[in-house]
Formats: sequence, C-alpha cells, structure tokens
Amino acid sequence: MDEAIRLPQIMVVDDDQDTVAILAHHLQREGFVPIQANSGAQCLKLVHENEVDVILLDLMMPDMDGFQVVKALKDDPETAEIPIIMITARDDMDARAEGMRLGVSDFLAKPVFRRQLASRVRAQLEVVETSRSATAAMDRLEAARKSRSQ
Amino acid sequence: MAQQPKISERETPFAVDQTLIGAHPAIAKLRALIERVASAEVTVLITGESGTGKEVVAQAIHMLSLRSNQPFVPVNCAAIPHDLLESEMFGHERGAFTGAAGSRHGLLTTANRGTIFLDEIGEMPRGLQAKLLRVLEDGVVRPVGADRATRVDVRVIAASNVDLADSVTRGAFREDLFYRLQVVPIVIAPLRERRSDIPLLVDHFLERIRDRMPGREIAISREAMVALWSYDWPGNVRELENMVERLVILCEGSIIDTAMLPENLVASARPATPPIKVKLSDGGLNLNNLVRELEGRLINDALKQTGGNKQAAARLLGLKRTTFSAKLRRCGVIAPASLDDSEEA
Repeated sequence: MDEAIRLPQIMVVDDDQDTVAILAHHLQREGFVPIQANSGAQCLKLVHENEVDVILLDLMMPDMDGFQVVKALKDDPETAEIPIIMITARDDMDARAEGMRLGVSDFLAKPVFRRQLASRVRAQLEVVETSRSATAAMDRLEAARKSRSQ
Repeated sequence: MAQQPKISERETPFAVDQTLIGAHPAIAKLRALIERVASAEVTVLITGESGTGKEVVAQAIHMLSLRSNQPFVPVNCAAIPHDLLESEMFGHERGAFTGAAGSRHGLLTTANRGTIFLDEIGEMPRGLQAKLLRVLEDGVVRPVGADRATRVDVRVIAASNVDLADSVTRGAFREDLFYRLQVVPIVIAPLRERRSDIPLLVDHFLERIRDRMPGREIAISREAMVALWSYDWPGNVRELENMVERLVILCEGSIIDTAMLPENLVASARPATPPIKVKLSDGGLNLNNLVRELEGRLINDALKQTGGNKQAAARLLGLKRTTFSAKLRRCGVIAPASLDDSEEA
C-alpha cells in the first residue's frame, strides 16, 4: 500500500469544547491528526466526511449519549469497524459494562494520562494495520492464483 | 510431538471458526486469510505475542490444506538445546557424533508430504538457519554425518513472538531466510487490542467446561466479566483460558464473581482511588496537588450523578458553569503532568 505518509486521523467527541481541544492538542503532539466533534450528531456526520482511524468518545453527553453514538456507528457497515475508545469516569463500572456489551474496543478512565492516551490509540491503530496487512496478503494470493490459472 | 497423522480420522470437516474464536474484524480477516493461504502451498511466517495462538493458526492452515491427512509436526526451536536441534531436525547417521549409536530420521523427514511447524524460529542458531534455507530452496535434507542428501516435500510454517525483521537488523537472523519464510506474513493481534472478543472467549471457555462436566452449572457475573474485559492479558488468550479454568475450579457455587478474581486483575479493572488523608506529616505535603486531586474526584462524581449534565453538575458543587468548566479542563480530562510519571499503563 502506498499510504506510508498518511498520518492517522483520530476523532475526539465530547460536548465540552475545552475537553475536545485539550485532547486534540495532546493527540497532535503525538503525531496524530485530530478531528474534533462536539456532539454525537456531529460525530456521525464527520465520520463519513473523513477517513477516521480511531474514535475517542466521551460517554457523558447530554443530547445524544455516547452509547447511542456507539450503536449508530456499529450499525452502519461503513463505520462498524472503526475502533472506539470510550472515556469514562474512573469507577463507572456500569458505563464500562454497557460499552463492553456494545463492542467498544477499549476504554480510558478520567483523568486521562497522556502516555496512556497515546499508547491506547496506538494499540488500536496497530490492530487496524494488522487487518490491512491481512487484506493485502489475501489480495496478493488471489492475484497469484489468477495468474497461475491463466 | 505429533508423529502420526491422527487428524485424518476426523469425520467432520475442519471448521476454522471453531478454532479461532472472535468476532473482531482483525480475527475475521485472519480466518479468511488462513483459508486463502492454506491451499496456496506457500511458506508462512506467523508473528504474535506468546499465548495468541500461533500453533492453532499453523494447525488450521495445515488442516485446510491438501496435506491435511499427512503429518503435522510441531518443533519448538527454543525448547530443544541448540546442539541437538540440528540432528533432531535433519536426523543423523550412525556414528555421526558421540552417542549416535544408530542412524535416525529427522523431523523434516517425519513431516515428509506434510507440514513442519517451526515455533520460535528466531531462536534457531545461524548455522542451522543456512541449512534450513537449503531445504526451502532445493527441497533436500542432509542428515548429520551423511554424505548424501535426500529429497523431502515439506511445507514450512514458522512462527516467532518477536518481530523477526528486528532480529535481521540486529544480525541475529539471516536476511535471505527471513524473506524466504515470510512469503505470506500473518500477524496475530494481542488480546488487549481486540478486547471486544474477551466476553465471547469467556463464554466459549465456559461452554467447553460445561460440555466436559455435564450437570455443572456455571456462569459469570457482569462485574466479573467487566473486570476480565478491562485487564490487559499479557499472556493473551492462553492466560485468559487458564484463568477461566482456574475460576471454575475455585467457584463453589454457580456464579463466578469479582470476589474470586485475583487482586491484580480487579485492581486494574477498578483503578484505586486511595482515600485522601488530610493530615500534615513531618515531611509536609503538596497542597496544590491535593486540592486538584480532590476537585477532580468531586467533579467526576458530580458528572456521574447528573448523567453528564455539566450545568447540573456545576450546581451540585455550588459553582458557576464557567468556573466548573475551567476546573473540568484543569483536572477532569487530562491528568496533571505531576501524576503522569507515576502512572503505570
């Protein structure tokens, strides 16, 4: 694949603009391209307009809560495979259980530690890369099979 | 070591989805790749942390290939002493070395027409790497002490828990062999990168235990499942499997609960919030940090109580919305830098 130069795009979703800005700032310093969304609706719109690699989602949003956003993302085949990292209060086990049930990829407990933020995002990027290389290997095998049968 | 083709007796066709459990896209792709690569007769290099199931993948490739009723011979290159590995793999002639009373076939010959699985190939001594390269290139095996090589038809599947490309850079692994092995590279993601499969795996392991012990009623509480889901599983699927087995043995009733989980596992699921001791010791304290910590906790609690409504949370704490936002910014989302270094991921 010829996309070695492309920087990973990470979407940050929170209704609090300051929170989004802070997380975006730290992601940028780690070499990611942050995409900021201030509501669930905006997240669902922007996710189709960008090539989002990972979504960081705060679960506590008043209008459309985080779980509804997760459901909408998972129900749409175009976005179903984008890893979602939920941000929860430190000891909110109910939220975590619900996220687990809905197929969230990982979680970060508040307050978020910078190093943890970067390493969790990177872990999800790595697994996306694993899937991509599997697809590439399959394509190569398919091409080889075709050229043999010709 | 699997010496005979026991697998040929299997009646039902091999189902890769029963061997590699998981709904995560990375696992779904892996299953598809295994099915594709099996019939392609190419050399495969599997990379994955320990416990991710490299041998399971190798076996699945063998079972889905045209060689499935021929032997599958696993060799752990790290478990056999270096000086024995060559004669184990290639065999030896009588009198080839002290103690070689008779001649003996090597594992490569045992695997003839089948598959040899070379686990932890990064541990193979360089001299032997050269000999393996000849097997791959010319399809011939020369036993230790023999003057003639014999032809073998073996599919090689290799595995490593470290990135072999790094070993090549360090000079510990032959570059030519590396490229010859990784005709198709397969990478297995660690369990913590596909956390969403943890509940599925736990259910699968419990199901298997129920099959083994008919009449044994066993389930897991939601809290315990969240704890298992939150843990990082450095030993991956194998560690999770062992944990579930252990929990079933320890469980006297029919529900596995958090109380039965080991302490380190629960601790990672529920990060400790130690009580703030407001007592001035001789060593003094950092009042600013303490105040910030307390603020952070109360802000989180208030947000939790109000379901994320910041206006209401501000009211609960007797703060103006703007002040609340400022405090939230300072200690609600990103931990203060002073705490960053003390954090263990």
